[in-house]
Amino acid sequence: MTAQPPDEPRDERTPVTVLTGFLGSGKTTLLNRILTEQHGLRVAVIENEFGEVGVDDALVLDAKEEIFEMNNGCICCTVRGDLIRILGALMRRRETFDHILIETTGLADPAPVAQTFFMDDEIAAQLRLDAIVTLVDAAHVLQHLDEVKPEGVENEAVEQIAFADRIVLNKIDLVDETTIAEVTARIRAINSGVQIIPAQHAAVDLPRVLDVGAFDLERVLADDPAFLTETEHQHDTTVTSVGIDLTGELDEKRLNRWLGTLLRTKGVDIFRSKGILALAGAPRQYVFQGVHMLLDGEFGRDWREGEERRNRLVFIGRNLDRDALERGFADCLATAGAAA
Amino acid sequence: MSITAPDAGLATAWDTTVDDAPVALSARHGLLAVAGASGMVWVLDAATGAGIDTFELPGGALSVALAPDARHAAATGPTGYALWRREDSRTTVRDTGAWSSAAVWANHERVAIASGRRAHVLTPDGDERWATEPAASTVTDLAWLRQGRRLAIAAYGAVRCHERHTPKPVATYPYIGSHLALAVAPTGRWICSGNQDASIHIWRTRDASELTMSGYPGKVSRLAFDDTGFWLAADGAPDVTVWDFSGKGPAGTAPRSLRCHQNVTALAWRPGGDGHLASGGHDGTVAVWPATAGRPGSRLSPARTLDGDAAVASLAWAGPELLVAAYRDGSVRAHQLPSGTTL
Repeated sequence: MTAQPPDEPRDERTPVTVLTGFLGSGKTTLLNRILTEQHGLRVAVIENEFGEVGVDDALVLDAKEEIFEMNNGCICCTVRGDLIRILGALMRRRETFDHILIETTGLADPAPVAQTFFMDDEIAAQLRLDAIVTLVDAAHVLQHLDEVKPEGVENEAVEQIAFADRIVLNKIDLVDETTIAEVTARIRAINSGVQIIPAQHAAVDLPRVLDVGAFDLERVLADDPAFLTETEHQHDTTVTSVGIDLTGELDEKRLNRWLGTLLRTKGVDIFRSKGILALAGAPRQYVFQGVHMLLDGEFGRDWREGEERRNRLVFIGRNLDRDALERGFADCLATAGAAA
Repeated sequence: MSITAPDAGLATAWDTTVDDAPVALSARHGLLAVAGASGMVWVLDAATGAGIDTFELPGGALSVALAPDARHAAATGPTGYALWRREDSRTTVRDTGAWSSAAVWANHERVAIASGRRAHVLTPDGDERWATEPAASTVTDLAWLRQGRRLAIAAYGAVRCHERHTPKPVATYPYIGSHLALAVAPTGRWICSGNQDASIHIWRTRDASELTMSGYPGKVSRLAFDDTGFWLAADGAPDVTVWDFSGKGPAGTAPRSLRCHQNVTALAWRPGGDGHLASGGHDGTVAVWPATAGRPGSRLSPARTLDGDAAVASLAWAGPELLVAAYRDGSVRAHQLPSGTTL
């Protein structure tokens, strides 16, 4: 008798949910729901405005947004110094937490928050970014999305939608069907695969936003059939998604070179990237996800007997060149190498 | 023929448990302070481990520092700080709402406390004497220079030095990045910061000339000079690195490396300047090293090792013969060294 290794090794790290969304989108309401609902989880909350929430059972900590650049001057390596500090202190406490929630300010850039989980080893070893959940106010989001920003300044509403793994489309009771359809189309134009959860008063089924494993690609693809769905661009938007679905096995060297160059040169514009890949000679799926230039990958489950070796990946970002991405990726196929 | 096993453990002088996860130790003048993450501080007799007093900083603790004469202590935490007086066990709590990373005593009459983006210099009973202007971010560490006449503070983007009663810095040592730890050589010749970008940044105080030691696998959050100011120990790698700062300094040299732990969680030089260093790891190991032996670049072996049941939270020397280790599970253990100078 032989012991079978589990198909997917269990990640013991504490999941962290990042809540983003504009002021008035319902972040605090959702936070209060999470804290008061009987889920039996021990939750620690890091919020940006102290005293908004407060529940006996939860530890609530105050954060002051401190964005730190690294000395190499790469804007993609900005992290949130306040979070490193607070999460570090949390991990030194005796009590352990089942879940950590980070509420960001309405105008916060989600990138430094997400990058913090890649850039700090101590945090990466003990915590995992579970999902970026963005609350969208159905009644006001179009106005925020249409806001014209000065050259070089990012529209925060677009950014928060682009980074999201889950979108809670809140306050749908305040708008008509046409508006819901338009808002949904606008969200999909930016982030085509994101799961959109309609809600009133931020009332959502908590398992849909807590411990969803959105940074676990296996689950992203299983949960989100729309992951790679093409969307009609009804609006002229510079932030879009490009999904690629290609059969075949990849040459690891060429893939590394292509992806490395791509993220090094276009990483500023590529907000998120995720994928499940078939590497030539590898018995397991290769799962990766990235934020700007930072990339994290590991082998996932075994390819099943007779399963088609298929590569699925998505880029969400600004001014993406679909043709170039598709061509570049196709050149990484092992068969493309043989032909060349 | 062997006389003593090289990895022999150390006799336990005393052993106690506190009801929290310790985060910091401070040993001065016969007392030992143990700060717990949730904010309780236990003051013990360093020789016996017997409890003397406790005080509390609501909101949790990050660090604790006894005054050199041990008549006072300062504890700092995520929402403020507390000052304790031994004489009548009076505790003054300042619930500032600001992150207080560290407290450092200039002498038994003045303590500098990091509070948000400023450092405040207080009397032992908490009267403010002066404060620095805000730094670019929350202050991460503090150190006194020139016998307590100059205060160095580390924050984002720079280490800044303030003279007494001058809110504006008299000297700024810029380096773009998040400075996590600060160490100043007792000779006053060097200012070093450990950084989030996995480097140690060094300034020679005389002419502010700079040096960067990069290439660490992880962030450098612990730095310590020995009593002579010739040796700097740092984490940031599985190995503790020990740099030679004698003469012209460490430029162009290789550090000695000390491998024992999976992740370094504590560093403490033995008082006396014999080059003996204690280090602790996340795996619960404690090692005592002849950290300056051998040649530059060599990998050293520990003189003593101890195995604990939980991660080492902090180490402190209560004199050259007594090494105290606090573990994450709440145990605090004092180990006796055979003499004040040998390992």
